[in-house]
Amino acid sequence: MLKDITLGQFFPGKSFLHKIDPRTKIISALLYIVAVFLCDSIMSFIILLVATLILIAMSGVPIKIIVKGLKPLIFILAFTTIYNVFFYKGDTPPLVHWKFITIYAEGLVFAVIMALRIICLLAGSSVLMTYTTSPIMLTDGIERLLSPLNKIKAPVHEFAMMMSIALRFIPTLVEETDKIMSAQKARGADFNSGGLIKRARALIPVLVPLFISAFRRASDLAVAMECRCYRGGSGRTRMTKTRFGARDAFLFIAILLLGTAIVLSNIYSYYFPIWLT
Amino acid sequence: MSVPFIKVEDLIFTYDDEDSIDKHYVLKNLSLEIEKGSFVCVLGHNGSGKSTFAKLLNMILSPDEGKIYIDGFDITNPDITEDDLFEIRRKVGMVFQNPDNQLVATIVEEDVAFGPENLGVEPSEIRRRVDSALETVGMSEYATHAPHRLSGGQKQRVAIAGIIAMQPECIIFDESTAMLDPQGRAEVMNTIAKLNSEQGITVIHITHNMDEAVKADRVVVINEGEIFLDGTPKEVFSNVEKLRRAGLDVPQVTELFYDLSHHGVDLPSDILCEEEGAEILSAWLKK
Amino acid sequence: MTKLKLVDVNYTYSEGTPFRKDALRNINIEIEDNCITGLIGHTGCGKSTLVQLLNGLLFPTSGEVMFDGNNIKEKGYDLKTLRHKVGLVFQYPEYQLFEDTVYDDIAFGPKNMGLPKDEIDRRIKEAALFVGLEERYFEVSPFDLSGGQKRRVAIAGIMAMDPDVLILDEPAAGLDPIGREEILGGIYSYQRKRKNAVVIVSHSMEDMARYSDKLIVMNDGEVFMQGNCREVFSETDKLLSVGLDVPQITKFMRALKSKGIDVRTDIFTVDEAKAEILSKMGGCGNA
Repeated sequence: MLKDITLGQFFPGKSFLHKIDPRTKIISALLYIVAVFLCDSIMSFIILLVATLILIAMSGVPIKIIVKGLKPLIFILAFTTIYNVFFYKGDTPPLVHWKFITIYAEGLVFAVIMALRIICLLAGSSVLMTYTTSPIMLTDGIERLLSPLNKIKAPVHEFAMMMSIALRFIPTLVEETDKIMSAQKARGADFNSGGLIKRARALIPVLVPLFISAFRRASDLAVAMECRCYRGGSGRTRMTKTRFGARDAFLFIAILLLGTAIVLSNIYSYYFPIWLT
Repeated sequence: MSVPFIKVEDLIFTYDDEDSIDKHYVLKNLSLEIEKGSFVCVLGHNGSGKSTFAKLLNMILSPDEGKIYIDGFDITNPDITEDDLFEIRRKVGMVFQNPDNQLVATIVEEDVAFGPENLGVEPSEIRRRVDSALETVGMSEYATHAPHRLSGGQKQRVAIAGIIAMQPECIIFDESTAMLDPQGRAEVMNTIAKLNSEQGITVIHITHNMDEAVKADRVVVINEGEIFLDGTPKEVFSNVEKLRRAGLDVPQVTELFYDLSHHGVDLPSDILCEEEGAEILSAWLKK
Repeated sequence: MTKLKLVDVNYTYSEGTPFRKDALRNINIEIEDNCITGLIGHTGCGKSTLVQLLNGLLFPTSGEVMFDGNNIKEKGYDLKTLRHKVGLVFQYPEYQLFEDTVYDDIAFGPKNMGLPKDEIDRRIKEAALFVGLEERYFEVSPFDLSGGQKRRVAIAGIMAMDPDVLILDEPAAGLDPIGREEILGGIYSYQRKRKNAVVIVSHSMEDMARYSDKLIVMNDGEVFMQGNCREVFSETDKLLSVGLDVPQITKFMRALKSKGIDVRTDIFTVDEAKAEILSKMGGCGNA
């Protein structure tokens, strides 16, 4: 069920990463993602894995939760792994050659690399951002990072506000969808049979009430926000005033070092093809 | 005596119905004064105009005619500035019916902070206000929870905390208990009573539930856009027939005493709670 | 006759995960024809799960659900027909309306059953009559109606499916006293005419005392008490011990008895209380 998705959900806590300025975390996450794609050698992957584990440790988020969060990715992981194992064409003699199946050593290695990349990419970036930063802090960080765009009259604050409200209402609307579907099923609606067109039509009794309810909620919320003196971004303060500190500098330098280490290990250690031959 | 906190004079509010030429009156010539620190319950059936009345008090709607003074300040003045308007909304907070549709943030404490943030309060002061507001409504342990996992009563208490954090002088509860179960309703009613008695906040509670009105200092019944009854709960509920005509109920004990007095039994008609009633009736029967 | 029977039913959410939660334990109940059954309990006591088991929207983790003597878990059991025979009206059903006109919306269920046009028409008119919806509303968009009228349309939509068992989850939630009376009274007269099985889920002891023949009280996922209203309400202490309420009039009679007046305490309507007290007064000779 949609409700069970934990990836991208905030995990409240007071760890090292929780205390870091969201802006630092966003930039670090971007750098981290670049670092993941730079990995090209065994040594670099070992460095990446160690670094990711350290990041997870610094976040205070239990490994169990992270593994659970990765579950929805199982299909993507399985697909890329199978694809690489069976369809990668290497230069070395194939390991297996049976009827139409040909498996190369490079394919196996490449499959492992891709799987590791995807896992590290998601675990690392979600630990850096979504798990340790509440959606409001995250949108706040984005707002402040993009604030130079205010000079060209881009609605940065409005954009950030929209994002955080969307995040707030997704679970509510998911629950509501479940409820409306059950209610229409009780009226004999059938969502699971017939062709594509029939199925699409069967969704009308769900979508119409859902949209109407979403609009009603939006207008209620707008009134409630006005009653709480909301008038856009100007003159607004924030409860958690973040500023860059020693922690931020530390994370920043650590991520830069990670990138450097990966690049250096790429240059000075063997590339996979050489190692294989 | 000082100026009443809220003073409403000859309020008229209409809305145009596309299908009819006549204006549809929601409120007609409504006048009312509310003292600072009082706990007023506004009763009325759906469509009686009670909710419209609430929304006029902090200018979510504006009246066609009539004057509204908040703390001596005329909020219906056409020259009112935006800053004045926001000051009114800070002073007169509002909690709505649907608990889901008034929470903005994904974390309880960040939602409570939303109001003070809009007011431009210093971060350390916001922190202090958020903590004390959550404490007041008894939701401190849920400070870092996601609102959508809370019960209806808990969500409403968070919404109340969000208003308290703006340090209002008056809070209007616009049918804030209508969608709650008995437990949630009790939670919210206890919180409301506490705010009124301990913090001296003026409370205007809009409802159609007479059990809740029993707890107020004063009950105002609105019917067909007009004030129909106004007085202490005892005074108002002794008008059983009139209340029924206005589409409202009375507590079962009040109804029993009313019925008995119609059978020629000489009993008071302003009994609200069962203990009081039992006391009086047992004394009468033992005579 | 027994229409629906639950035998040793258990229901567990998220089995095999850390979020595992027992929603229902050891439920044994029977829903009978020609009877209004009231289902009472706190939010989270398992009522909502239970009603979804009754029409096959959910299946028990263990135990059997029997409809007309047939196990609905059996291979090849026609669930679609079951849902036609066991109608379920969810809480706040007005939020499920979607058609352009009131008529079409009520027709949605009967149409899904594949009924002929004139039969659908007959049923719509009959259902509208039960809920007190005038025919002049038929061609109006349901979204232009008031909240109470929308609710009637939604309930009529299920009544028009002519179910053997009609289940309503909090049909009067959020309505004012008149609205409650009209909706519940409508359901009552519908049931008395159709003589089918009706299940009403409610928080209101007063409403249940007035409209139901039999009560099932749930607490913490289990059936806590069941029987007719008198049997259930005579055990006030037991109800209060789990935080459930009894009608105010029942509490009043108990208070009266504790003051040394010898009255019956298994009373739950104002009329009964009046008769009882008048009979005591008869002894005093003045009423």
